[in-house]
Amino acid sequence: MPPPRALTEFVAEANEVLETLAHDVAVLDAQRGHDPEPDLLNAVFRAAHSLKGLSAMFGQEKIAGLAHHLEDVLDALRLGKVQHDDTLIDTLLEGVDVLTLMLREASGDEAHPDTAPRAQALTEAFARLATGGSGAAVDVLDEVGLDPGIRNVFTEYEEHRLRENVKKGVALWKVRAVFSLEDFDQRLSALNATLKPLGEVISTLPSSQPGDDASIAFDLIFGSSRPRPEIATAVEGVAIVSPLTQKTMAPTPVPAAAPAPRKPPPTLFLQDASAPDLPAYGGSASPSGVMQGAEPSLRSLAQTVRVDIGRLDGLMNTIGELLTVRANIQRLSEVARNAGGAPLPKLWAQELQKETRALERKLDDLQNGVLDVRMVPLVQVFDKLARLMRRLVRQSGKDVHFEVSGGDVELDKLIVEELSDPLMHLLRNALDHGVEAPDQRVARGKDARGVIRLKAQQLGNQVQIEVGDDGAGMDEMRIRQVAIERGVVTREATDEMERRELLNLVFLPGFSTRADVSELSGRGVGLDVVKTNLSRLSGLIDIESRRGEGTRFLLTLPLTLAIIRALVVSVGERTFAVPLNSVTEIVSVKPAELRTIERREVLDVRGQTLPFVRLSRVFGLQELPVERHFVVIIGLAQERFGLAVDALLGQEDIVTKPLGGRLKGVRGIAGATELGDRRAVLVLDVGALVEDLKRPMAAVS
Amino acid sequence: MARFDELLKRFFYRADEDVGAWLELAPEIADSVEALDELPEEFLAFELSTETYAVPIGAVREIVKVPVITPVPRVADHVLGVMNVRGEMLPVYDLKKQLNLETVPFRVTGPGDVPRETRVVLLKDAEGDAGILVDRVRGVVRLLLSKLEPAPSLGAERRAVAGLGRSDGHLYILLDVEQALS
Repeated sequence: MPPPRALTEFVAEANEVLETLAHDVAVLDAQRGHDPEPDLLNAVFRAAHSLKGLSAMFGQEKIAGLAHHLEDVLDALRLGKVQHDDTLIDTLLEGVDVLTLMLREASGDEAHPDTAPRAQALTEAFARLATGGSGAAVDVLDEVGLDPGIRNVFTEYEEHRLRENVKKGVALWKVRAVFSLEDFDQRLSALNATLKPLGEVISTLPSSQPGDDASIAFDLIFGSSRPRPEIATAVEGVAIVSPLTQKTMAPTPVPAAAPAPRKPPPTLFLQDASAPDLPAYGGSASPSGVMQGAEPSLRSLAQTVRVDIGRLDGLMNTIGELLTVRANIQRLSEVARNAGGAPLPKLWAQELQKETRALERKLDDLQNGVLDVRMVPLVQVFDKLARLMRRLVRQSGKDVHFEVSGGDVELDKLIVEELSDPLMHLLRNALDHGVEAPDQRVARGKDARGVIRLKAQQLGNQVQIEVGDDGAGMDEMRIRQVAIERGVVTREATDEMERRELLNLVFLPGFSTRADVSELSGRGVGLDVVKTNLSRLSGLIDIESRRGEGTRFLLTLPLTLAIIRALVVSVGERTFAVPLNSVTEIVSVKPAELRTIERREVLDVRGQTLPFVRLSRVFGLQELPVERHFVVIIGLAQERFGLAVDALLGQEDIVTKPLGGRLKGVRGIAGATELGDRRAVLVLDVGALVEDLKRPMAAVS
Repeated sequence: MARFDELLKRFFYRADEDVGAWLELAPEIADSVEALDELPEEFLAFELSTETYAVPIGAVREIVKVPVITPVPRVADHVLGVMNVRGEMLPVYDLKKQLNLETVPFRVTGPGDVPRETRVVLLKDAEGDAGILVDRVRGVVRLLLSKLEPAPSLGAERRAVAGLGRSDGHLYILLDVEQALS
């Protein structure tokens, strides 16, 4: 049963808010150690607030309740009552995770057994945080001698900002400006913009002494460490600057005295000292390891894409132009019908041709426009991965710096979604198998802190994503040994393998090089899953690894899957389409040039020996004697092979549609597409063909 | 207020809703109600070789002329291939071998291979819609569900027969779509 529309909308929207929240918390994390930027804090606070409102509106009381507590904590943080430290960030991140889980449940997923206890622990942690930081012991504002009349009108938040400024020894100023009633709003924001680079506008108060009927006066409470003449010059002709407090001209003794009593003892945020590093919830606190075992998928909950209205306008324009083309074609067909068999003028044919070309162009525009709409930035999944990595790094006890770049690269929504799980596996591997423990690293003369990189960049029609670490690198001899032990390959088969091929053994199902199955990875599923997922996306995967220096996994992906370019080939009377993004080149060979290795046919392409597969044999079709084979060289993930066909018919843009439910399991066929004559043409599943290649001889022939 | 209620009641009163007079008669007719009320169900009847088969009309999506059928490798014998129905790719089945009507399946790949009356009946199915090739569509028959006979046990290969129905002296073999396509 599909969830009701209202629920779907709620989930989509709440999900979006959560993503924003997660992103902002991540930024907050990056700013740790510094004072958080007030704008950012407000953004996080607003996100929590809107999540609360949204879920309450849709009757999601549990989510609303937790969001409410989250909001309390953020409010306290905004007001400086809570310290911006590890405990806080961990709690906030856990909050995002738990809220995501709860949202998943609200959208109809099964309840996760951990959710309720985690939410409970979190509520308590939030409550502790929100109330933990007691109010200021000594109010510095009392010391600066602020006019009580002014002070009473400040909100709590404004007062907090004032206090912060005073503590830092920043002088407070009153900037008075008188504006005409006609355009005071523009001029006020202009004044704000002028002041912003010089300091912080803490509050804007309408003045108690207005000028006259046609104007309005404002007092801007402004904190700035710049000298008075500089501020006065900046606002010259617009406003008058005067000191707000009696003592601001000599602020120096304040910072020295103030912070000490304000700084709460670090244990204030922890209930007991037995959990010195992590608060009592989340990963490491559940010794049974239930949570680590089943990491929830990072796919987003909502199947929606947010579209910039400009893109939709573009599409609408194109459709308008298409309508004009249709009208013209209609007119032309009218002419043809009225001619009643009489020869049509030459002009008519020319015009028809012109319209056809216009139609083609506009359809191209439409196609590109729709593809554009499907594109989303990778940051959506990168953010989630960063959050996960943060937690995993803590659990692992290793010291790792996680670098992310290229989040603005855009990919088809479908691909971005499918990518999250493979990238998660690769990152876990990098952390678990790649980066060494700090003492080992130091022993090898490396920096104790490891680096794991996640980097995306667009290369033409493809996107390359790199998951790299500066760890120990891969040991091909151990890989070989393990592969043989596990029966993944035979010893003889590995004898002739090059280093690259040996490394690629890790992609085989059931392979895992670590004897101890850790909580993070090494359950024997991982790289083969990564490869399967990537093949499904027509992606390539390559490993670059240097002993002692690190490992890089390079994922190359097409920008979109919706419409792909395909090579149309034929075998006998049958026609097939091969996705062009997995075709690396096309060669032609004479039958005499083929060689066999262990009775399997191979061909030589510029010195590289590749398996030679006849499509006719793969599908049990009739084989015709040929003078030359057309060989389509296919590259998928890390595999290459040559596929022999009888003829090449050309290239087409195709939309692959799945075969009806009952046939979806057909091996080697990804689906069907319709070509110009409306006939269904089968699209090859290159990934499955590659898989078959590696099976024993009997299974192939 | 009470007066207003009365007005409303009178306004919405409908004679045929007043069942008071019938209530005392009800016990006597209760038993025969079921038999009286059974409406015949509609089935689509079609011919396969010499036999006439039927499927519930609700299971039929549409009937189309035989299109070009693209053979699919590595599938069971009775799958002829896929066809393009307005952009949707659906499998087409030939049930004659399944139903023991023919021993060697004849590979139909397009309209040129079959007589003019041949059609593809598209059936709705939970596992995905699918087409079956039929020699001729006879039309809609109405059969009483309570009068259907169970299928005679004629061996394992007749599992696809759900039952038999008779109407106007014709015998209709009811097809179990799930079984026939599996």
